[in-house]
Amino acid sequence: MIVFVMFVMLIALICLNVPIAVGLAVSALFGLVVVEGLDSVVTVALDMYDGSTKFSLIAIPMFVLAGAIMNAGGITDKLINFVNAIIGFVRGGLAMVNIGVSLFFAEISGSAVADVAALGSVLIPQMKKRGYSAPLAAAVTSSSASLAIIIPPSIPMILYATSAGTSVEQLFVAGVVPGLLGAFGLMGMAYFFARRYNLPKEEAFQFKRLWVTMIEALPAFALPVIILGGIFGGYVTATEAAGLAVVAAIGVSAFYAKMDFGHLKRAMIDGGVQTAVVMLLVAASVVMGGFLTRAQIPQDFARWILDITNNQWVILAILNVFFLVIGFFLHSAAAIILVVPIVIPLIQAAGIDPIHFGLVVTLNLALGQQTPPVASVLITSCAVARANIWDVSKVNIYFVAVLFAVLMLCTYVPSVPMYLVEVLYRS
Amino acid sequence: MKRIAKGLDQVLVWFLLVQMTALTAVVIFAVLARLTGNSVAWYDEVAAIQLAWITYYGGAYAALHRRHIGFDSVLLAIPMPIRTYAVYFAEAVVVGFFLLLAYTGYQVLVVLEGVYLVSLNWVPIQFTQSVIPIGAVLFVICEICSIPDYLDKIERGISLEHAEIEEEVETELQKAQEART
Repeated sequence: MIVFVMFVMLIALICLNVPIAVGLAVSALFGLVVVEGLDSVVTVALDMYDGSTKFSLIAIPMFVLAGAIMNAGGITDKLINFVNAIIGFVRGGLAMVNIGVSLFFAEISGSAVADVAALGSVLIPQMKKRGYSAPLAAAVTSSSASLAIIIPPSIPMILYATSAGTSVEQLFVAGVVPGLLGAFGLMGMAYFFARRYNLPKEEAFQFKRLWVTMIEALPAFALPVIILGGIFGGYVTATEAAGLAVVAAIGVSAFYAKMDFGHLKRAMIDGGVQTAVVMLLVAASVVMGGFLTRAQIPQDFARWILDITNNQWVILAILNVFFLVIGFFLHSAAAIILVVPIVIPLIQAAGIDPIHFGLVVTLNLALGQQTPPVASVLITSCAVARANIWDVSKVNIYFVAVLFAVLMLCTYVPSVPMYLVEVLYRS
Repeated sequence: MKRIAKGLDQVLVWFLLVQMTALTAVVIFAVLARLTGNSVAWYDEVAAIQLAWITYYGGAYAALHRRHIGFDSVLLAIPMPIRTYAVYFAEAVVVGFFLLLAYTGYQVLVVLEGVYLVSLNWVPIQFTQSVIPIGAVLFVICEICSIPDYLDKIERGISLEHAEIEEEVETELQKAQEART
């Protein structure tokens, strides 16, 4: 009963636009006081401090900062030119470029909104000029930015790994194959639209152009080399890779001579604020987590579901629906922090690999970024394209279908996300 | 109120800049130290404390600019003037929670007198954990300072998230325009 009242209280506070972190802490505090008395109030300060000192989450401000510096450092044009040289010759080449650059670019900083704004403001006007409809340009930008949530480095993955007590490095590895599959799928869909509306090809393929643009873009690849090479090669941890990524980002921006102190200052403030916003949620979740654990709620929830079914495919289907619905209404960080600690005992009891489940959760939340009312990435793309959100959604549904297909594939063919994990860490 | 908000904005911006720079420096130093076989014992503890400081001082800054993760669609659908009362109630909940956090945080500090960090045994934990009461009080001040602007937007039916996105998009479009010309 008390848990039900807490849940209603949390929903009511969220509906009143109380910051979710505060809503979480207040409803947990209510439960604590009712169950354990007024003396338990003092534990809130201790929990809120402990929650904000989770060492593994130091990767968040570092990746956020690296991404913000790269955003401000002028790599966008170089990357666009390079990807254009690779794939621009295909019909609908600019849409392909958009998807290719998004994979590299978006979610580096943990703020898909900032990344979509940065990338979309360069590419969407060009796409419109080349005959793409505003809704199509916005849909391509929006869906590809959301796919990037599963490409390392990904802030939601770091949060999931911390909440579930799993390896962030393995989760990063698990995202690679589904990310690439999703990108090819989105490119296929973009090609379908390009044929349908006779959209133009960009410049013809030339090895010389590819070489020149690659040399120009080469320093920008320092970031994925450090992150992917360092982590996958076992040389550094995710946190260490994040620190080195900041150095690389500063170096790259200095190389392109685009970074001034104004940009750097803004990048650092943005990084600090984004970190604070997410970390306050994490800290509040420790207060709630402590109460739920003492009240055995996650265990009761696991038992309740397992009494209905112990088939892991059915359980994954139930959780897929649950996370899809949650993703409609909550920011991905909030959804992970709120829900993952509750469902992890169920995942373990059902024999589902928490790394596999982490990827399923992240993909669900990527879909959630495309569905109103809370669809910050979609809304940003619409704002850049000056297009109506419903018009964009009518086109975007096809791209969302591709992401949904990837989600189903990853859910029911675990070897798709897990093959590389098995090879690199478990063989 | 505006002068207080402006002053706080400046102070918190510089504090955030210093903390982000220091955290970056600590992480990079520790990585290089480990890779060269000279790991430092204080890294985990110091970096975690810096993260806590960024959380609470950055959290206060985010409150000043209403950047915390929320959901305003339902609130905006509530008819006026009930919407205004709902905002006052929500603000009272936020302020009340952080006042309580400040009070309990102070109580914890009193208990922690004479306790020092493990790796840097000359640094009192009272100093590192002071972020809870101080950060909570700053949060309250920032929240109150930002109420008039927030209330104005909510009463006019403007979504904060949409306003933030519009601002971000305008900035980026302007940058892209400048780059083209």
